[in-house]
Amino acid sequence: MGLLRRSKSGTIVDDEPEVEVGQVTPLGELQARQRVRIVGEVARMKTRPGHGIPALTVTLQDTTGKALVVWTGRRAIGGITLGRRLLVEGVAFNRGGTLEFVNPVYTLLPRSASS
Amino acid sequence: MKVLIAGAGSVGKHMAQQLVQSGHEVTIVDNDPNVVGDKDERSPVNGVTWYLGDACEVTFLDKVGIHEVDVVAAATGDDEDNLVVSLLSKQEFAVPRVVARVNNPKNEWMFTEMWGVDVSVSTPHLLTALVEEAVNVGSLVRLLSLEGGRARLDEVTLAESSPAIGKEIRDAGFPRESAVVAIVRAGHVVVPRLDTVLQSGDEVLVLVSGEGDEADQVVRQALVG
Repeated sequence: MGLLRRSKSGTIVDDEPEVEVGQVTPLGELQARQRVRIVGEVARMKTRPGHGIPALTVTLQDTTGKALVVWTGRRAIGGITLGRRLLVEGVAFNRGGTLEFVNPVYTLLPRSASS
Repeated sequence: MKVLIAGAGSVGKHMAQQLVQSGHEVTIVDNDPNVVGDKDERSPVNGVTWYLGDACEVTFLDKVGIHEVDVVAAATGDDEDNLVVSLLSKQEFAVPRVVARVNNPKNEWMFTEMWGVDVSVSTPHLLTALVEEAVNVGSLVRLLSLEGGRARLDEVTLAESSPAIGKEIRDAGFPRESAVVAIVRAGHVVVPRLDTVLQSGDEVLVLVSGEGDEADQVVRQALVG
């Protein structure tokens, strides 16, 4: 785990931002119904407001393609913001041509790290 | 198609039997050794793969090949179990189609996308609709809700006083969000065309989409008056 500390300027600095990303599937090669690990950047975020069940829908993209990730029952997740890179592990299903993960395991990645 | 049925009660077995007859590949799971063990004597279901185990366990579902099935039917007599099976099927194995049985109508609100359910079937609800349909001529009955209520299948048996009688379908005043999917006339299914003329006694099945029931009201207006 990385250590968080507050720098002199008051911003929070991550001392040890290295996360073991391991082998990931490029989004362009993603296939439905297989357990995969993907890394992508948050390109779009959408919440379903008001009536019905809240859900946070995030579009992840890399240079090869994009995928949707949905977390049900919540409108926001701390740390998931536009531009943030995420490591997601789960099984995607095909919703009208777009691959979608529902409530997958996720890890926040530092923006600067290379994939 | 490959179908996995959770729960080998009378509902599950009956489904298995019908699905096998229509040429599908059916796997049925139950955690009661008596039910699974009795398969040869009590159930005439052949061509079905049986497994003994707990369908609410991820590892068990994995073992019975859920990652290859096209449809999961959660048909146990326990709503909690049906919800867990549905959620696991969708979330862990991305099953394209999840159908769940609602036992207690009070729980129906939970059988949505939130719990991985694509289609919920509530026996009490269905019975009410069918009873309504059997006794009512000239009123609109909702037979089925699809897509979490965003699409509905409505049925009207046309009374003699219906404003639609003698009209062609295109002139009957159906809203854009609706489609006449079938007409049952004297026991036969008539494929509806734009110029099909509606008659008294026709059972008209209409698929209606959209949130709320404004479109249903327009359909009611057109067929019931």
